[in-house]
Amino acid sequence: MAVVTLDGIGRNYGAGVAVLSEISLTLEAGEFCFLTGAAGAGKTTLLNIIALAEEASAGRLTLFETDVAAADRMARAALRRRIGIVFQDLRLLDHLSANDNIALPLHVAGMADAEIREHVGEVASWLGIGRRIELRPAALSLAERQCVAIARAIVSRPDLVLADEPTSHMDDESALTLIRALEQLSRFGTTVLIATSNLALADRSQHPRIHLDAGRLTGPENGPA
Amino acid sequence: MHPRAFIRTPLDLAMPRDATALLLVSMLALIGYLATLGGLAFVLLGDDLRAWNRSLDDSVTLQIPAETSAARIEMSLALLRQTPGIAELRLLDQAETARLLEPWLGPAAAPDTLPIPRLLDIRTEPGAAIDITDLRQKLAAITPGAQLEDHRPALALHRRAATRLAILIALGIAGVAVFAVVLTVIATNLRLALHRGAVELLHLIGAGDADLAWPVQLAALRQGLVGGAIGAAAGLLTLVVIGHLMPLDASPSAADWRLWGVALAVIAVAGFGAMSAARLAVLRQLARMP
Repeated sequence: MAVVTLDGIGRNYGAGVAVLSEISLTLEAGEFCFLTGAAGAGKTTLLNIIALAEEASAGRLTLFETDVAAADRMARAALRRRIGIVFQDLRLLDHLSANDNIALPLHVAGMADAEIREHVGEVASWLGIGRRIELRPAALSLAERQCVAIARAIVSRPDLVLADEPTSHMDDESALTLIRALEQLSRFGTTVLIATSNLALADRSQHPRIHLDAGRLTGPENGPA
Repeated sequence: MHPRAFIRTPLDLAMPRDATALLLVSMLALIGYLATLGGLAFVLLGDDLRAWNRSLDDSVTLQIPAETSAARIEMSLALLRQTPGIAELRLLDQAETARLLEPWLGPAAAPDTLPIPRLLDIRTEPGAAIDITDLRQKLAAITPGAQLEDHRPALALHRRAATRLAILIALGIAGVAVFAVVLTVIATNLRLALHRGAVELLHLIGAGDADLAWPVQLAALRQGLVGGAIGAAAGLLTLVVIGHLMPLDASPSAADWRLWGVALAVIAVAGFGAMSAARLAVLRQLARMP
């Protein structure tokens, strides 16, 4: 099943400055893919469009075989609940503990407290932050905060994970551990798209890469359709 | 919406209490106070108007000079009895008249020391079209110096004045209600601006508009009910204090359900009005998100 289908997606800002042009690609269920490109190439904008955080100026976006343009606000919210997103700026809520930050998608889904505790504990342990989840973000290191943001993105077991520079503050070993964790998720059917400017990280992995250059796709290299 | 969202919602967790809550409660308390005073004034004005109607609506008074003979008084009474539209006649005895004059003349006023005129209380049939000018001339012919006082024109003036006052009070209440709505919208927008990051995050992780709006509405409902209750209590207390400072014959009592009705109406309108205004504000803000 096609999880993401982009057909001629474009995005302009202001008086016609094109950030993305004619982006077309398809990501299937369980696919694991890197989105590479220099800073300003349009990686974040493309992830935002797929995450329904931003509207495309042109083209057609289909998520889980639903045409996004035809979906009403309730349907869009339902689509968002199937997506886990790691923001580049993390967007952790400072007044909440790591535990409560991770639990937010489960609260949104209306899950019972006991189940929430179980899921959050499981994911936090998996990512190695189990002992730190009662702390607030300000008390955590940058790498730990990134782990919290990743845990929040995957705790609801979404069908699609979008991660924008998820390892930018991690050392190589931690970054690889995290990539392994996301690979494991992908093996259970979750589609994973990771935007990174860390080409070395992408190189060490055997996964396909989509490359963006000045808002245009120049890949994929062994990439998706 | 999930049933648990009625008690606890993601936004409750993500949006902690802030200064806007205190701001809204205090402003709604002030508005509730003004609205309660307006409502109570409306009720009391209605009471006064009804009392005037009862006492004066069908009332005409004939004042007969003190020196008038009993025969002339009897002739005047006979004329009045024959006049169509007159329902009841009552000649006040001199002791009763002296009591009426006591506030002006003091307790020393006595019929045997002062030439106190005789008063005749005339009740007309409701809506009776009596030619007062003609009747006045006929009575003056029988009893020179007799004065027929028709209270109905004065009452009509009072009625018009009271109606204008009631309209002004109603407009005042409507004005403060509109102000309360505007204030709630501003406080809600301020709250959403303070927690913009949290709202955007919850929107992006899949919270629906209703899920996001509900806790904001619930908070506004709570704040409106609390503010309205404080304002209504202060309004009732003011009425009690005024009642003690300026005792009236017909002061409203705690058993008067209308006073409690005004207070409850103010609380309910403050609560549900704030809730609706907050919903409007939050949905407008959310509509700007993709």
